[in-house]
Amino acid sequence: METIGADIIIQILREEGVDVIFGYPGANTLPLHDRLTNSQIRHYLMRHEQAAAHAADGYARATGKVGVCLATSGPGATNLVTGIATAYMDSTPMVALTAQVSTSLLGQDAFQETDIIGITMPITKHSYQVHDVNNIAHTLRQAFELAKTGRPGPVLVDLPRDILASKCEPAEKQSASALKTNGKIVEDPEQLEKIAKVLNQSERPILIIGGGVKLSNSFHLIRELIEKAKIPFVTTMMGIGSVDTTNGYNLGLIGTHGNELANKMVHQCDFILAVGTRFSDRSTAQIEEFAPLAKIAQIDIDPTSIGKSIKINLPYIGDINETLAALLPLIDEKEKSEWLQRIDTERDAIVQKLSDSGCGQAGDIIRMVQDTMPKETTVTADVGLNQIWTIRTWRPRGPRSLITSGGMGTMGFSLPASIGVKVGTPERAVVAITGDGGFYMNIQELATIGYYNLPIKIVVINNGHLGMIRQIQYHFYNGRFNTIDLGRNVDFVAVARGFGIQGCRIALEEDPKCGIETMVNSYGPFLLEAVVDPENYVYPIIPPGCSNIEMMYERLA
Amino acid sequence: MFRKIREQEQTISILVNNQPGVLSRVGGVFGRHGYNIKSLCVAETTNPEISRITLTSESDPDFTEKIKKQLDKLVDVIEVSDLSGQAFIQREMMLIGVTIKEGTQSEILRAIETFGCRIVTMTSDYFILEITGHQDETAAILKFFQSFGVEETNRTGSIAIQRNRPRAKI
Repeated sequence: METIGADIIIQILREEGVDVIFGYPGANTLPLHDRLTNSQIRHYLMRHEQAAAHAADGYARATGKVGVCLATSGPGATNLVTGIATAYMDSTPMVALTAQVSTSLLGQDAFQETDIIGITMPITKHSYQVHDVNNIAHTLRQAFELAKTGRPGPVLVDLPRDILASKCEPAEKQSASALKTNGKIVEDPEQLEKIAKVLNQSERPILIIGGGVKLSNSFHLIRELIEKAKIPFVTTMMGIGSVDTTNGYNLGLIGTHGNELANKMVHQCDFILAVGTRFSDRSTAQIEEFAPLAKIAQIDIDPTSIGKSIKINLPYIGDINETLAALLPLIDEKEKSEWLQRIDTERDAIVQKLSDSGCGQAGDIIRMVQDTMPKETTVTADVGLNQIWTIRTWRPRGPRSLITSGGMGTMGFSLPASIGVKVGTPERAVVAITGDGGFYMNIQELATIGYYNLPIKIVVINNGHLGMIRQIQYHFYNGRFNTIDLGRNVDFVAVARGFGIQGCRIALEEDPKCGIETMVNSYGPFLLEAVVDPENYVYPIIPPGCSNIEMMYERLA
Repeated sequence: MFRKIREQEQTISILVNNQPGVLSRVGGVFGRHGYNIKSLCVAETTNPEISRITLTSESDPDFTEKIKKQLDKLVDVIEVSDLSGQAFIQREMMLIGVTIKEGTQSEILRAIETFGCRIVTMTSDYFILEITGHQDETAAILKFFQSFGVEETNRTGSIAIQRNRPRAKI
């Protein structure tokens, strides 16, 4: 067979260490799909392109490698959009390959033509349309380099059909990268010394761990920092799972759906060391009242994330891993401080007040699931109440073991993402937790899971409602519920069975343990429908427009 | 995001790859941040692979700093410089069409000579004038001719260059 553009793509993908693609074919992808058949790359045929993007995202988050998805032109490409945006918001390294109509047809409104470069411009780090078969290798190498360096993110490569099918020579071995270094990183030892000095002198320091800690694989260094400085830490939603949260220094999640302890102590602290976080509105709530007593030092690789929403006293632009390594020797070894004792007292008081950790029966079910599953389990959470219940209840016991859509808040993420997680880390058990609302959004992926017989344990927490919106209507719209009732008319267990997946239904009051054990002991994929009360909300919550310490535990009179 | 404090004119000069789609990426950064571009000038540099974009906008300097960082992240952007913080030369060109009414001809011709503008084309009752200078100058000249009846105007927008010799040449 003569070498064509599609072969070059496979050659470069292999060179980049890609062995899995999540995709969906169409007329314009065919030159590539045809050549994939005999390649060493496994192509998972999803049931929707959005799911392909989420699966690639889940794969990347679980493995730390670049996730790759592939879709055809037109609707295939536009279906990727939500998935690409999700990856962009959470800085997932991803390469999205889209086929395009032939170059001779570009701009003519040809069948299944769409300007995917234009559409995805604000949600990709960069995008390329290849116009010459001899540029494929260089472009694709750049795309991978860009996706994984600096602050990672999705890069889209649009491939016209005729370019995929054009004859060419095999690509030459990679020469030196021609890519501009992304955001010139300046080493600034003086600034690091200043940060260390302020930290050493602070009486009430707090470390905020963001998603950047995961992205830079700084799990060990961040733990060393915590233990050396005896510094209590809070995590953002993206930071969860970076550190074993059971180590005593953890104050929990900050922000609008965070733990009281975390929000309260951040409000009282005199110094914040923020690592790999962008101070999103969900983390800070009302920004003017965030940490009013604290000096803030921020370490991030992305200059645009520093001081974007809040004034930073000590900014530092750099790779977190390298920066922490340089910072650690400058940090004084501390004894347990008065601050930590004060935190322990607060912690005890809150535990007394909120015995169920604010998640109700849904939290109990999630806890039981984790206790029954093997220790080496990765969980994916969807968006809505189920997400907050999961991140507040599940205790991640290792890096990359809790995966959820934070920035974008994409409902329907959990199920397809779990496919990527399972494919990427087959040695680990995988639980996909979702609400009924998010489950409907990518329910077709049950077919993919069944077809490939991926042993994913799916937990649908069914309250028959869009629970988080219901809670907002309950608290802030005087309980005028509307457009949130999803009904109880669907039998999820029967639906699963229809897709070739075993399942059972549990409720907390009817021996849930038995059902959970059946799921955990099942061999293949399994769906567990956990029925909970629609009034099982999450507490505390922060009313819109309020500060992080104005937590609500019940409805306002 | 749409804060309007301490607004002043900002002049930003950007070197970019001379490729299709680059202007829309640069423009997208401004648009997404609610930042209006007042004038925009794009032309190839002496290196045909690189273009220079000069744009002006009214905004507070902190905000401009944030936009600069965003622009710096674009793959096709080679260098961003905010000229507002340094000494720079600024010029724009304007073409205006002016009607000649009875008895105004000699006054108009005197003014043209005084201002040092150039007549591009002229008939007995209408002429087109080319004005080049700092935008304050072009604005003043335009204002003067408006009293005679300006029919049409078009301006290039600012181009700018720093006053001091640059450290390294591109």
